[in-house]
Amino acid sequence: MSFPISKKALAAAALALTATVTAACSGSGGGAATGGPAAGGKVTIRWSTWGSAEDVALYKGFNDDFMKRHPNIVLKMETVPKYEDYHPKLLTQLTSKTAPDVFFVGDDNVGKFVAAGVLAPLNDKLAGADSKSKPEDFFDGVYGGAKKDGQIYGVPNDTNPEVLWYGKKALKEAGITEDPAELNAAGKWTMAKYLEMNAKLKAAGKAGSIFWNWYGSTYSVISGFGGKVWDGGKFVATTDPKSREALQTLAKGYADKTFLSADVLPASNGANTQFIRSKAGFFAGGRWMIDVVKKGGDLPNYDIVPFPSETGQPMSGAVAASYLALNKDSKNAKEAFTFLTEFVSKEGQLLRLKNGGAVPSIKGAEQVVLEGGYPAHAQTFLDVRDTGFANYSDEVAVPGLTKDINDHLLKVWTGKVAFEQGMTELQSLVDGKIG
Amino acid sequence: MRSRDGWWAALFLAPQVLGLLAFLVLPLGFAIALAFMKWDGLGEMSWVGFDNFAAQLSDPDFGTAVWNTVKLAVLTVPVGLALALLVAIALNNVRGKTFYRVVYFLPVVTSSVAVAVMWQVILASGDYGVLNSTVHDWFGITLPNWLDDPGWVIVAIAVVTVWSSLGLNVVIFLAGLQTIPPSLTEAARIDGAGPVRIFRSVTLPMISPTIFFSTVVAVISSFQAFDQIYVLVNPDHNDGARTIVYQVYDLGFKDFEFGMSSAAALILLALTLLVTLVQFGVQKRFVHYDS
Repeated sequence: MSFPISKKALAAAALALTATVTAACSGSGGGAATGGPAAGGKVTIRWSTWGSAEDVALYKGFNDDFMKRHPNIVLKMETVPKYEDYHPKLLTQLTSKTAPDVFFVGDDNVGKFVAAGVLAPLNDKLAGADSKSKPEDFFDGVYGGAKKDGQIYGVPNDTNPEVLWYGKKALKEAGITEDPAELNAAGKWTMAKYLEMNAKLKAAGKAGSIFWNWYGSTYSVISGFGGKVWDGGKFVATTDPKSREALQTLAKGYADKTFLSADVLPASNGANTQFIRSKAGFFAGGRWMIDVVKKGGDLPNYDIVPFPSETGQPMSGAVAASYLALNKDSKNAKEAFTFLTEFVSKEGQLLRLKNGGAVPSIKGAEQVVLEGGYPAHAQTFLDVRDTGFANYSDEVAVPGLTKDINDHLLKVWTGKVAFEQGMTELQSLVDGKIG
Repeated sequence: MRSRDGWWAALFLAPQVLGLLAFLVLPLGFAIALAFMKWDGLGEMSWVGFDNFAAQLSDPDFGTAVWNTVKLAVLTVPVGLALALLVAIALNNVRGKTFYRVVYFLPVVTSSVAVAVMWQVILASGDYGVLNSTVHDWFGITLPNWLDDPGWVIVAIAVVTVWSSLGLNVVIFLAGLQTIPPSLTEAARIDGAGPVRIFRSVTLPMISPTIFFSTVVAVISSFQAFDQIYVLVNPDHNDGARTIVYQVYDLGFKDFEFGMSSAAALILLALTLLVTLVQFGVQKRFVHYDS
């Protein structure tokens, strides 16, 4: 059998077939790099985020509204349900140049992406005429690792200031007659008073406080003791005397069960359950805790107070934040920025956070937090946000460092590593990572 | 004519060969090179020699991962294969074996994520888990927190692994059993051998190549366990579930240490190769290829 076909043609066909198969196998991607005006003059902007089904529903509402106002822009939202799965996907997309035009970045990862130079600088755009969110509209401390050398690479979407929720019933059952929020208003909310209340709760057979093992609660306690975590680019939490005292207090509290780590509680008797059943006095968390206490059905029982300070005067507490960043390789940077600036603008946040569990990051949208009148001292969320700090830029610049610090501290909290040894190892771990 | 045939062969082989180069040889070569580099996925690569290997071999997390992986293999391979052999022998002699074969094979074709989610519902702690709450309600016995307790989680993972891989092993063993000539079993029976003796002296030797094949595959598969564990338990919060592949994922995609991650992957490759070579060395004494 023979065909009138040349060897060169056959070879070309083989290569073409192979290229087709290879392209098909490599996935569609789409990517920011391949973007461009679609048919009919419309531009498609891909943006990605993590979030629960409820979060996604809120974002969808914003998307629909945005597309009505900008008929030339089609928004394509890509979501990942779990936070811990989001950044691996984003990193892969960035490496392969298929990342969306606009994307969320967590405060523990933003420094890494800033350092890698994959995010577009935003100062000029934010200050420009088309901006709906000027740089000064956001509190400086909330930029965290998204700001480097004065240049903004990510705008805070919204925030979640870490506060102490407390159950009045649990405190009363432990014989505590003073109200933390009232003490705070009177400038008497001190670390000594807080620890005294925890001791009373423990003596009454309850847990004093429940913390998630993350920088928000740990660094807030350190700050409450008047300590420092980072100083001049060096990790000083294990060497600064006040920071060390804070960490030692936490370790001792975890050891004698005055403090509980929500991370290691069994699902059947988890942190939310213990707090709702008044088995614990305090629970460190953000505005998202409203959903937790709603499930308990006894809303007046709960209120919030900032983390205490040594003197009773307000101190700087941790504020969880996520950032919206613009892909440096976006082919539709103008439209992508239009989406970004509207998403984080006052109007955007009012729309997105109406029924949400976060606190606006932009000045002027405070009514979202205050209009419901819950909890009674909801203003505390705003106070902590206005004076608080996002994770330290020195820390977030090193990928995985926050996670490593948390993981190591959990070993100390759970007694797997003795305190002194734990501090030595923690310092070596951080020094080794920052090089 | 021969030359033309060669071109036709090249045409049809090209996609496969280039696919192999693009998706196997190149990534493997890249991973090997990466194991000697420091790279965060986006920035510059820098040569670090054997530092990544040294760091992994001295990392307690890697030690934990190796130990958990070995425990998982020890728990799943013998139990899984023995159970599969028993089921296969039982099915070999029943009517409607196709129906049972389908039933046992269903978990194999079910998505591993779906399997993990289903077992999560069964094994969850306290009142949340179907198993624990039922046993507690019926018998008053409090079972361990399977997925939360670092001491029990590997047992829970082993149960899920054995359950989900049972069907595949049963089908393979059934195929092996059906290759045994009935005349051999009949001859043994005429010689006065009972069922146990027939099993020991006829069935086992005859299906020993099948057992060997299944053992090798099962060991490699247990060394590569990841997806079900990732969904079933979060190894970040439970060291008892940290396996080598999770360590590879953790280093690469969470810590952005791609060099270190590749080094861990290569150590896993070496470990798998070593165990497989040992199995091939030992098989000469136990596996019979003559009918």
